[in-house]
Amino acid sequence: MKSKTHNRILRSVIVYALLFLLAFVMLIPFVWMISASLKLNKDIFMIPYEWITKDPRWANYVDIWTKIPLATYALNTAKLTLIVTVLQILTSSFAAYAFAKLHFRGRNLLFLAYISTIAVPWQVYMVPQFMFMRRLGLADTHLAIIILQAFSAFGVFLMRQFYEGIPDSLCEAARIDGMSEYGIYAKIMLPLSKPALSTLTIFTFVNTWNDFLGPLIYLTTDSKKTLQIGIRMFISQYSAEYGLIMAASVISLIPVLIVFMSLQKYFVAGITTGAVKG
Amino acid sequence: MNTPITRSARKRKMRQNLVAYSFIAPNFIGFAVFTLGPIILAFIMAFTEWDGNNPMKFVGVDNFTNLFTNDRFTSALKNTIVYSIFTVPLTLIMALGLAILLNQKIKARTFFRTVTFFPYVASLVAVAAVWNMLFSPSKGGLMNQLLMNVFHTDPLKWAASPKTVMLTIILFSIWKNMGYYMVIYLAGLQGISEDLYEAAALDGAGAFQKFRYVTLPQLKPTTFFVTIMLTISCFKIYDIVYMLAGGSNGVVNKNAIVLVYYVYEEAFRNWKLGSASAAALVLFVIVLIVTLIQFRGEKNYAND
Amino acid sequence: MKKRLISMLMGVTLVVTSLAGCGEGGAQTPAQPAQTETPAQTEAPAADTTADAPAADTTADAPAADTAAADEPVTIKWALWDKDSTVYYQPLIDGYTAAHPNVTIEMVDLGSTDYQTVLGTQLSGSDCDFDVVTIKDVPGLVTLANKGVLEPLDSLIAQDGIDLSVYSGITDQVKVSDVLYELPFRRDIWVLFYNKDVFDKAGVDYPTNDMTWEQYDELARKITDTTPGAEVYGAHYHTWRSTIQLMGILDGKHTIVDGTYDFTKPYYEMVLAQQKDGVCMDYATLKTQGLHYSAAFYQGNVGMLNMGSWFIPTLISKIKDGEGAAAANWGIVKYPHAQGVEPGSTLATVTALAIPTSAPNKDVAWDFVKFVSGAEGAEIMAGTGNTPAMSNEAINSKIAEMDGFPTDAASKEALTASHAYLEMPANEKSSEIETVLNEQHDNIMNEVSTVDEAIEEMNTGVQAILAQ
Repeated sequence: MKSKTHNRILRSVIVYALLFLLAFVMLIPFVWMISASLKLNKDIFMIPYEWITKDPRWANYVDIWTKIPLATYALNTAKLTLIVTVLQILTSSFAAYAFAKLHFRGRNLLFLAYISTIAVPWQVYMVPQFMFMRRLGLADTHLAIIILQAFSAFGVFLMRQFYEGIPDSLCEAARIDGMSEYGIYAKIMLPLSKPALSTLTIFTFVNTWNDFLGPLIYLTTDSKKTLQIGIRMFISQYSAEYGLIMAASVISLIPVLIVFMSLQKYFVAGITTGAVKG
Repeated sequence: MNTPITRSARKRKMRQNLVAYSFIAPNFIGFAVFTLGPIILAFIMAFTEWDGNNPMKFVGVDNFTNLFTNDRFTSALKNTIVYSIFTVPLTLIMALGLAILLNQKIKARTFFRTVTFFPYVASLVAVAAVWNMLFSPSKGGLMNQLLMNVFHTDPLKWAASPKTVMLTIILFSIWKNMGYYMVIYLAGLQGISEDLYEAAALDGAGAFQKFRYVTLPQLKPTTFFVTIMLTISCFKIYDIVYMLAGGSNGVVNKNAIVLVYYVYEEAFRNWKLGSASAAALVLFVIVLIVTLIQFRGEKNYAND
Repeated sequence: MKKRLISMLMGVTLVVTSLAGCGEGGAQTPAQPAQTETPAQTEAPAADTTADAPAADTTADAPAADTAAADEPVTIKWALWDKDSTVYYQPLIDGYTAAHPNVTIEMVDLGSTDYQTVLGTQLSGSDCDFDVVTIKDVPGLVTLANKGVLEPLDSLIAQDGIDLSVYSGITDQVKVSDVLYELPFRRDIWVLFYNKDVFDKAGVDYPTNDMTWEQYDELARKITDTTPGAEVYGAHYHTWRSTIQLMGILDGKHTIVDGTYDFTKPYYEMVLAQQKDGVCMDYATLKTQGLHYSAAFYQGNVGMLNMGSWFIPTLISKIKDGEGAAAANWGIVKYPHAQGVEPGSTLATVTALAIPTSAPNKDVAWDFVKFVSGAEGAEIMAGTGNTPAMSNEAINSKIAEMDGFPTDAASKEALTASHAYLEMPANEKSSEIETVLNEQHDNIMNEVSTVDEAIEEMNTGVQAILAQ
């Protein structure tokens, strides 16, 4: 009995030691960002690095809002991110259901087409895609960014893999009960896939929020630009204001972290088990 | 021939197909029009000479033969493969390990999970700056101090030396990306029924056996996803290399160049979109082969 | 099946639309219904813009393009970068619109870092509605000219009798296959910045406007202090190849697109020796650390920095706001020169304006380009502390009088260049050559290759490109 508790204590000591080491290694960049955001540009890349500045420049956090219209950019980014995330979740989970649980002609081929397009670097089809979108009158519109981001193959793939893990027997039972496929999707699959939906939400949110090249190519009017373009504006041809860049980056991280923290609670073992038992 | 049974069967089959298509349509139409179309065009471009404006000129397979005689491309191909071979399995193992660790009932779990995800979302500039500080090629860098004082070996020049530049990039990208794949594994772990563990415990399985016989097999769809996404993203690595190994005017030299960087260079520095597409097509074919092999593996566990 | 069909159709549509959008032939394809934007598709073939009267160009719905008669409001779009941090865009616009109240000029900021990528993408096809585009560097100019998206300016220049000699030869160096596509409005020359305090402390005389490279090297070594923790660097070289490699072209005997690079050897050897002796910071460290040259100079422990004159206004403003305090006592001198070469030869970069072939308001655009690159524009540029492409005594005086510019006579004199060689002259293969040169520069400075090996690589690499 005694050795068992001993073991348990030893085990948790190891676990926590590991965790703290991990936290340390992963947190250094965050600490660096904050400390750099409180510095003058010239001090940032100096060695030895001063982790805690003697003379913090809080002014950096004020300047970022006045030097460029950062608030407008943040609003644009928030709008785009919300719309893209909602569309992505809806269309992806919908399509994924068919790929995972329905049988139809061309299923595997179509699915493979989806996955393999992820492998094509955007740089290579960016120009024809842009020319095409401009012909449709979509250049310099938010709609263009939404369209580019919302129908990604990634979401379909992710959701499909999660649905694969849900036993077919559940769907069969519902079908026998006379439930339509749409009903099964809405009433059985969606509630069961909260962890996967959370994952997809986090990833889509992060990607759209941090997307840079897409908005840069498409959005040329100032009032339509996004946060990431704004942050790059502090890098000009002849100088780079890293203090301001880091201050703006810290600000731009906050929503991402909030989304992550509020959704990771769905990664709790056992929430799905009751239902799956069926 | 048209017995009522087959006709109704066929009708049912068609209905089934239609229902399935209706599920796929909202995503697929957007995807086909705005992504698949341009991609198909890009593949046609691989057989042409095009600068984005003047009329396309068909050149057959010239772009491909030029690629394989260009040592920047062959270096890029080699580096990308080396990078992927090491990064894919190592990231996968780290991500799975982290997910299992952070799936336990521990204090401040939210904090630890968020922290692990952090390097993925933090600004690349910040992450690279920290990394370069730790892995500075000078003797004052933290890792070099460690090498000299603890392991009594010579300091390394890390990203500044052709021998260690890929190693530096590999370590960096594992560190930056493992949190991302951990999230996917975390989600996957939630799908495993507690009953299976209980049953295993009744059979007298220890922690390792539970992992071996319950966790791993149950995570197969997730692992399939992670492996493919990891392979693809490793083959598409680009900005990390640019940040860590960009030299004079940001140009990455042959020791560290990767495929997508080459594509970028051909497309937007030289405006040879045909040649860029050809390079991308090579990348595509490699990834497709890897995916198809994975796909074959996946069939074995599909639950029908 | 159906889906596959749709995607096939898509592909075909794309090919058609993009091909139809290709270049001058566009006007001949009325089958293209997607004329959504720009009412006036002034698709006059590029070559036709010659001397014929403006009336020929003016399609029915185009705003009366003849600048003399135009009172109708026109808005032109000007593609540029760093809208908010560049001090001269707005004054230039104000200067122009004061005389042309009917014209509105809209700035389109495409960002500095990826400017060339974004501009190239925007100018692909013929739907772009930019009227004036800023050209950042020569490789950028060449790629756009090769793409055929820029209007040749030669006939317009001839027609308006513009004297190109005021640009002291730059316009000859930026011709692409003998055609001029841009008119420069800004020219920066490379000079040697130095920190007077560093020299005073070491008790060494300041650099002069007439120094050979040997004297420069000697000077740098004299003021260097390698005491750990209190290092003083005699010289600083940013990670660009131009800081070292291009020292070699200043004797006027070689160009950087020749295909042989043996002439760079003495300069690489000089800097490598300096690097070894701690006279300058180590390239590998600089590269990974990402230290900006300005930040290095503001530290106050760098004696001399070879850099373009663009650094002058930045330095002045950073000294004012305190960040550059440790370098407040600065001066500039002319670039050092090789033995037996007249002092004052230096490197130059130009920023220029061009007109896309797809520009909706070409005539107003040309008028604006003439203004910005001409005498009035130069005056405005100099007033903001930036060096216009049109360089003369009066302009240099204006810059030297600027608040914060060093008061010594040598600094003012340093603004005059006897010969200005472009960092990269126009060549069909500029951007590919650039890649080879950058790559080998990196190899030399990282000491991955010896100077001889790298030069050999440059020679074979560039010759292969030129032979294509």
